[in-house]
Amino acid sequence: MLGRYFFPNAARAVHARAVKTDTGLLRIEELDGGLLTEAPLQAVKISSRLANLPRRLAMPNGGCFETLDNDGIDALIGEMRHLLGGGWIDRFERSWRAVVFAILFAAAMVAAYVIWGVPATALALAKATPDWLATTISTEGLKSFDQHILKDSTLTSAEQHRAQALFDSLNHAGACGNHHCELVFRQGGWIKANAFALPDGHIVLTDELFRLVKSDDELTGVFAHEMGHVVYAHGLQRIYQASVIPAFIIVVTGDVSQVSQLAVLLPTLLIETSYSREFETDADRYAIKTLRRMGKNPAAMAALLERMEKQLCGPKGCPLSWLGDHPDTARRARMMRQLP
Amino acid sequence: MSQTAAAKVEHAFEFRGNGWEYFRIWIVNLALSILTLGIFSAWAKVRTRRYFNGSTWVAGHNFDYHASGMRILVGRAIALALLLGYELSVKFLPPLGVLFFLVGLFVFPWLVVSSIRFNARNTSYRNVRFNFAGTDVEAFVAYMVWPFVGMITMGLLWPLAQKKKDTFYVNGHNYGGRYFEADISTARLYAIFTLGLVLIIALAAALGTAFVYLISHGPSVSGPLSYLLSKKLMVGAVVLAIYAAIAFIGPAIHTMILNLVVSSTTFDEKHQLKSTMSPIVMAWIFISNAILVLITLGLFYPWARVRARRYQLDHLTLLIQGDADSYVSEVFDTQSAVGEEIGSVFSFDFGL
Repeated sequence: MLGRYFFPNAARAVHARAVKTDTGLLRIEELDGGLLTEAPLQAVKISSRLANLPRRLAMPNGGCFETLDNDGIDALIGEMRHLLGGGWIDRFERSWRAVVFAILFAAAMVAAYVIWGVPATALALAKATPDWLATTISTEGLKSFDQHILKDSTLTSAEQHRAQALFDSLNHAGACGNHHCELVFRQGGWIKANAFALPDGHIVLTDELFRLVKSDDELTGVFAHEMGHVVYAHGLQRIYQASVIPAFIIVVTGDVSQVSQLAVLLPTLLIETSYSREFETDADRYAIKTLRRMGKNPAAMAALLERMEKQLCGPKGCPLSWLGDHPDTARRARMMRQLP
Repeated sequence: MSQTAAAKVEHAFEFRGNGWEYFRIWIVNLALSILTLGIFSAWAKVRTRRYFNGSTWVAGHNFDYHASGMRILVGRAIALALLLGYELSVKFLPPLGVLFFLVGLFVFPWLVVSSIRFNARNTSYRNVRFNFAGTDVEAFVAYMVWPFVGMITMGLLWPLAQKKKDTFYVNGHNYGGRYFEADISTARLYAIFTLGLVLIIALAAALGTAFVYLISHGPSVSGPLSYLLSKKLMVGAVVLAIYAAIAFIGPAIHTMILNLVVSSTTFDEKHQLKSTMSPIVMAWIFISNAILVLITLGLFYPWARVRARRYQLDHLTLLIQGDADSYVSEVFDTQSAVGEEIGSVFSFDFGL
């Protein structure tokens, strides 16, 4: 086996040959046969095979024999192969069947993780989150909303009382589960006609949405939908989902290098919005169920939804968007109008 | 300057790996990492680095990487614990977060030095290892003090901060006890940053104008709120233009800085490195790689990495004064620093 020999702890190299002697020694000799070093095979540290890179045999004296003859080394090691770590990984890499299997396995696991793993992890984490934590997150969240987007409500106290009464009746009917829901009035800023729930049960209603509402049932529907988010802990789940996906991608790819940054951002966004649509559907179902239980008509919610869309995108409705985080309005409205 | 010294001989760097080879390593690494819930990824990193180092050849020899997966695993566990502790405390207990931040201020330089040293010591060329001798204090100045100075001067001293960081990195490295030295021109660094800023503004302005024109002359949206909608779109278009400009100019500027730093580096006071990458080609490689990785659902990733590395190495040369073999033999034959014990020093790779 031909190669190069580096002298102990030195960069100086000579062309050399490695042979196995009858006595079981590995002998490194010059091309003309002069002895460079020799040692029992067991005492030689042989680097594991990787693609077609040169193999290095670290001799006990500190010298090193280097050769491109990978097959020759493997033959030399022969039955000693089990003493070396990592050889099986190389056999995987060189076997087409193993590579195809690895592709399918990785794809299946990633898909399974995205479909079941992330939601399950986020749900488990959300359930394990103590109340004080949810309260802190919500308080901080509302504070930052107030600083950047929301303004003080301009609703009259009569208007606020009307909304509060509907909210209280829902609370009374147990629509908030074992949470304590509280109504918060704000002017929407650029988020306009909107309502959203914080993890600890604070539900923010914007003045713009209040003014868009035409009946009490519509407003009750909005509240019930948001209470659904609170009861199912959707807010916390979204927070956890947002951090679980990039963490997973980093673990799988080793480290996030420049090539993959954009490639991490976009899938995360896509996956998150699809989870979010599921949450909206769940909250809609919860609202429909709650309204029916209270003897009200869920179809009122559909009317409000359509009005909101018209205000946002004109008479033709919003363009269909698969990036949007709410399911499309027509489908939601249809679900709300369905008979029980 | 007089030409008293012997002529310099050019040795081109060469990447002898290929996409298929790395693809097989990558996919097996990926599958095993998933199977072991991420534990194998430390060993995967060793195989990856070994492959890239081992495929890098210059002057008839290749590089090698010797780290043990276990050390990388421990390093990652420590880094993860620190990161989690910091994230959680910042989010939920701000006072504790401040404490963590202050401690982190001093821990971070240590992590940086430790990681650079770990990788240097585990990298070898011709049976001789690299080493890194930068200190924690120097790292604190280079990675903490200077960026801070750069920030509070509104970026005016940012190029200087970049220079300090790169000089610290290069000058700390040695190979068999002989040092690298970077003599980076401050004027040229400022020129690059100024150019980058001007280009980003110009490109963003051009793209922004084009987008706004397209929107205002494209199919109009009817309805009472069309004005508002189009205003929103305009803002979106301008933001998009800025992002696009940064996405293209960013890698180009990064490449120019890399060229400058590498070409300003000498080894053992007489040998030189030279990097001649084209900023435009590198920017194109970055952007097209990102797009291809995205549309192939990640499968193109190995080819993307190999493509970028090959381009970088194809434009990197080593200028050796005199004959490479005789220089190496003479200088690195009986070096005491060469055989330094690696395992005795506490150093880990934290993935920085």
